[in-house]
Amino acid sequence: MPEPIIRVEKLSKTFVSKERKKGAKKKKVVDALNGVSLDIYDGEFFGLLGPNGAGKTTLIKCITTLLIPSSGDAWVNGHSVLREEDKVRASIGCMLMGDRGLYWKLTGRENLNYFGALYHIPKGVRTKRIDDLASLLELGDFFDRTVETYSSGQKMILAFAKSLINDAPILILDEPTVTMDVPTARKLRALLKDLNRRGKTILYTTHLMHEAEELCQRVGIIDHGEIIALGTAAELKASMDRRDVVEIEGIFPEHVVGIVKALAGVRDVAVKAEGNGRTKLSVASDNSRVMLPKLIEAIVGNGSTIEYVKPQEVTLEDVFMAKTGRSLAVDTAQVGKQEVRVGGGGG
Amino acid sequence: MAVAVSRGFGLARPGWRANLDIVYTIIVSRLKIISRYKGMLLMEAFLPIMFAGFPLLLGFAIGGANAAQNFQRNTGTTADYRLYMLIGSCVFMVVTLMMWLIGYWIRREQETGTLESMYLAPAKRFYVLAGVTTYAFLRSMMIFVIALFLGSLAFGVNPLSGNVLLAFGFITVGFLPLWGIGFIFGAFILKIKEANSVIQLVQWVVAFLMGIYYPITFFPGWMQYVAASFPPTILNDGIRSSLLNIGNLFGGEWWVPFALLLAFSLILPLLGYEIFLQTERRLKRTEGVGQY
Repeated sequence: MPEPIIRVEKLSKTFVSKERKKGAKKKKVVDALNGVSLDIYDGEFFGLLGPNGAGKTTLIKCITTLLIPSSGDAWVNGHSVLREEDKVRASIGCMLMGDRGLYWKLTGRENLNYFGALYHIPKGVRTKRIDDLASLLELGDFFDRTVETYSSGQKMILAFAKSLINDAPILILDEPTVTMDVPTARKLRALLKDLNRRGKTILYTTHLMHEAEELCQRVGIIDHGEIIALGTAAELKASMDRRDVVEIEGIFPEHVVGIVKALAGVRDVAVKAEGNGRTKLSVASDNSRVMLPKLIEAIVGNGSTIEYVKPQEVTLEDVFMAKTGRSLAVDTAQVGKQEVRVGGGGG
Repeated sequence: MAVAVSRGFGLARPGWRANLDIVYTIIVSRLKIISRYKGMLLMEAFLPIMFAGFPLLLGFAIGGANAAQNFQRNTGTTADYRLYMLIGSCVFMVVTLMMWLIGYWIRREQETGTLESMYLAPAKRFYVLAGVTTYAFLRSMMIFVIALFLGSLAFGVNPLSGNVLLAFGFITVGFLPLWGIGFIFGAFILKIKEANSVIQLVQWVVAFLMGIYYPITFFPGWMQYVAASFPPTILNDGIRSSLLNIGNLFGGEWWVPFALLLAFSLILPLLGYEIFLQTERRLKRTEGVGQY
């Protein structure tokens, strides 16, 4: 059993701000994190999902020492975020602000050299590391131009390269594929999987469910400053009441419905006439991937014609919606309309 | 309960070499950035000449042919009022640029996100600030030299007739207190998240206190003490008295202002750094340093 390399223990963060309402100043207290506890294991690829304003960024900022928690503590690579800030920072490679955080009047190479120095990497080692990263991430064409001339995707790749400059054991990435084109994002995911295979622990936030499913060994869903779901994608899906559904359209003799219902693993079958003698069967099961070959075999073997099959598995998006009451797609479109719970105070 | 597992720090090799490397890399990177804004240094070098030009022409308009004698008689300093004011303007430019560059550095880095990137790295803030303030000093010294050279040509004065070595000594010891003031100013900008209005206000207060066009003996008694305990005033007075071979504010002995600047060199950088750290810590408890 791997040991935790990041441990968050009863971490809380409260923001106090002043807001003006009808000319009067009022104190507003926002509990961004409410006693969050979480272990991320050595060598794990961990996904942190949550709607905007849920506390993802605050949690990451506390873990990376950008914010001091109001209470609780966190340990990163064996070091407390409260007492050993420099060691925590030296343990992490970060990409938190997308393509921000780069010097536009410096070239990509000069940016990496600058940040490499801030990470205490000796000059000789740094030069080689920069060359290696340029080759790994194929930074060739634009790398020696000033960043102001880069496209958004190129800036994102450079920001990603910056997070790898110190070759730290832990990588913390906040939506790294946003604004990347599809091939580049795919290449980056492949690279991340490879880095994880080679032992790097990765804490990853994303709004893209397929990314979380593809990459993350475990996923945590955070909302209103609390971890509300935690586990592997399969565990989270299994925790849902909803079953997988496979829709099968075609021409079926009447007795086929009975045969399908009798198959082991089938929970329910709904039948709908579609006209022209065609029927749609909606077959609910525990696991559509396992059931599909059996269903096809049972239906075709009984004089039926299948014209269309559409599996509808429970997805992480369904889990997310069930847990938070919001869709990530909708939430992404509403960036800026932050929803935070006001925890008290005032006056 | 603490986490036991530790996987080291990747390629990082902390130590004094790494700290010096931070200072050096920051200076070189920032000089590269400024060199990519074409003609900026030269344009900045004209500012102190303009600053000196206004009072010189005004003085000549009022004093006419007797301007030099009037200035010497009224101030008890020198008849070479053109060089007196040119040096004052150039030193003021060094001081104000140190504050401008630190203030704008913090503000701009907050806006572009590079400040947060810097805070994610394990580099000690002292070395980062040392790099930035040294860069600011080097840049302002380049402007000082160019402006003094061009200004001397424009006003027909010779800045090298006095004790140049001593003036250089004053610049060397005066650099560290400016470092400290830069740290304090940086902490203030970090806190209030606004650079323009503060810089506008502070630079004219500084210009007033430094006595760039006049000796601070013109001030009422209590204000003379305030001005004389301000390191940029001592620096200005030290450089001016060296290059013009005139007495200084402290009775003429060169070592008195020199020793005072040396004392400030020991106190102000540490005080400034402590204030910066305290401000930073307070911000990390509230909204974070990158918030702008």
